[in-house]
Amino acid sequence: MSAMRVDAKVVMLGKESVGKTSLVERYVHHRFLVGPYQNTIGAAFVAKPIQVGENVITLGIWDTAGSERYEAMSRIYYRGARAAIVCYDLTDSSSFQRARFWVKELQNCEEHCKIYLCGSKSDLISEDRSLRQIDYHDAQDFADEIGAQHFETSSKTGSNVDELFQKVAEDYRSTSFHGMTLQETGVDLTPKKDSSFYSCCHNN
Amino acid sequence: MSQRTERRGGIHVDQSDLLCKKGCGYYGNAAWQGLCSKCWREEYQRVRQKQIQDDWALAEKLQREEEAAYASSHGPQTQPPSQSTPPHPQPGHASLGPFSKFEEKKTNEKTRKVTTVKKFFSPSSRSAPKKETQEGKTPSPSVSRRASFDTDQVSKDFVDFLKNLQKPGREIHKQCRAFIGNMSSKKDLSADELSECVQDFYQNLADRLMGHFKCSSESVEQVMDQVEKYIMTRLYKSVFCPETTDDEKKDLATQNRIRALHWVTIEMLCVSFDEEIPEVSENVVKAITDVIEMDSKRVPRDKLSCITRCSKHIFSAIRITKKEPASADDFLPALIYIVLKANPPRLQSNIQYITRFCNPSRLMTGEDGYYFTNLCCAAAFIEKLDAQSLNLSPEEFERYMSGQASPRCSGSEEDWSSPAPAPTNPVLAQLNQNLEVLSGLSGRQEALMEAAHSLQADLLSWPESVQHEVHDILKKYPLEVLPRSAPAIDDNNDVDNDNLPPPLTPQVV
Repeated sequence: MSAMRVDAKVVMLGKESVGKTSLVERYVHHRFLVGPYQNTIGAAFVAKPIQVGENVITLGIWDTAGSERYEAMSRIYYRGARAAIVCYDLTDSSSFQRARFWVKELQNCEEHCKIYLCGSKSDLISEDRSLRQIDYHDAQDFADEIGAQHFETSSKTGSNVDELFQKVAEDYRSTSFHGMTLQETGVDLTPKKDSSFYSCCHNN
Repeated sequence: MSQRTERRGGIHVDQSDLLCKKGCGYYGNAAWQGLCSKCWREEYQRVRQKQIQDDWALAEKLQREEEAAYASSHGPQTQPPSQSTPPHPQPGHASLGPFSKFEEKKTNEKTRKVTTVKKFFSPSSRSAPKKETQEGKTPSPSVSRRASFDTDQVSKDFVDFLKNLQKPGREIHKQCRAFIGNMSSKKDLSADELSECVQDFYQNLADRLMGHFKCSSESVEQVMDQVEKYIMTRLYKSVFCPETTDDEKKDLATQNRIRALHWVTIEMLCVSFDEEIPEVSENVVKAITDVIEMDSKRVPRDKLSCITRCSKHIFSAIRITKKEPASADDFLPALIYIVLKANPPRLQSNIQYITRFCNPSRLMTGEDGYYFTNLCCAAAFIEKLDAQSLNLSPEEFERYMSGQASPRCSGSEEDWSSPAPAPTNPVLAQLNQNLEVLSGLSGRQEALMEAAHSLQADLLSWPESVQHEVHDILKKYPLEVLPRSAPAIDDNNDVDNDNLPPPLTPQVV
């Protein structure tokens, strides 16, 4: 797994215990953690290849520590990320406030990072509607406002989980094929290439 | 001296023995090997000259051997002639001048000492300083030789690897060597500029491989790994923790900071380790070893793999403790804890070095990159750590920081599950046990010493007491009180006196 080539970095952001790890675990291993599992060493980093059309895109999924004490460091995590899945708990309104905070951070610091808003634990809502604290339409409005995709997922049942990551991979593919010419060669390479070649030839 | 005078006094000395051994007619002196002052000076000069020449010859021989060994340690085509060959003979030459001077002084001293012991021309005294020369000399070249040996090994591997690539391989090799030569002329650039140069080189080379040679992205990655290894091994010395940055100062600050935070416990960081499980503590120890080992690697990627290994051990430890896979919420605090325990040498320099000179694709996306990012986070957290981030009150934090209190002592109010530090760590337990054994030993030693002292005192007082007793008895039965009878028999009973023969009169005289 360590040797696997990774195309895009995807960070998971969200308050503690909103289910970031479970979401990744469900997506990668198709299971929901209820009891002790011994076979995986950790779910903090996963490289997952996804079939998108004819191409295979490998997402490197970065789990992050959600505790507020590490909030100051979160910027280090999402540096260079191509996508961020900002999670909130549908049954916990404070987690949505925290999600808003992360969205703002991302918009300020990482403009190339696409944002995916993800309301987790939708299975709890379908069992008992009164548990819902974040209205679907409020979240959708917020998503529209920031230009993000919005999903409500359940790691327990697996509902909408594959769709979320598939969307991430597809978006990456379309932007990278579109952006390859525009961004990487256009902005990154040309100016640097010249300077280095010049100095090389010059000194020899 | 005293020996000599004794001998003189004891044995008769012939007149000829006192003359100079050279037969010049002057008197000789034993301190000058039986020579007169003039002959001694000549002789001494000659010997000294010879000694210096011998030292030179030896040094030269050593150097030739070394060069031969050096030349045979690598193939002729692998060694870029401009690189490391010239620096090696130089240290030898440079050290030779002052060294022989120093050696000369030393022999000077030695000969003087030797004369009094009368061993001056014996072979053993001649060879002894030589041996010292050899031993004293070798370490410095051998250390640098070792370092260059590693470098040579890397270049050899690199060339072997490139051979398989044929034409692109030659091109890559040429470019890398040109780049390294180029870099050596840019020593005074700032660290960021150096980093930019290296990163540009990576980028250009990768682009060229992709574009010109139509390599697949996997093989490009392979090549880039090798290129990174080769280049960074060679550049390491000049670009790791360069003088133009304040990396070193930051290293020291971090080190002191971590030292000051020695009191931070697992509970404060909410780490899910149960170090009483042997497997967990084993993994913790391994993780600590790995993160410390990072400093010893030269290639950024090797440093990264140390971090990755460390992280894997942490994950194992968490999994064993919690019986479920660890998430980032468990991992980061655990890594912080490990960093605090390990206090890895030159942490900031290493982080900076990796950031500046690692292949960016690896750093930004892959698994190694993830763990490295966590390490950066841990370092940042430790730097900014305050009372709030440990869930402590500012007063408590202040007290712990100033060393006025230790969290283990205030166990009663905080209700720690194990207030005693001993059982938390088997190493610590072992240490405590050893301390106990040592203190027991020192107690016994003291008792022994006391007994010895009292024995000594007893022994000292014994003759005194005996003398005292004898004295008492003598006093009791004084000698001269009985003029009529013998004083020698005064300790006998009067009854016995009758049995004794009478002739005692001669003794009275």
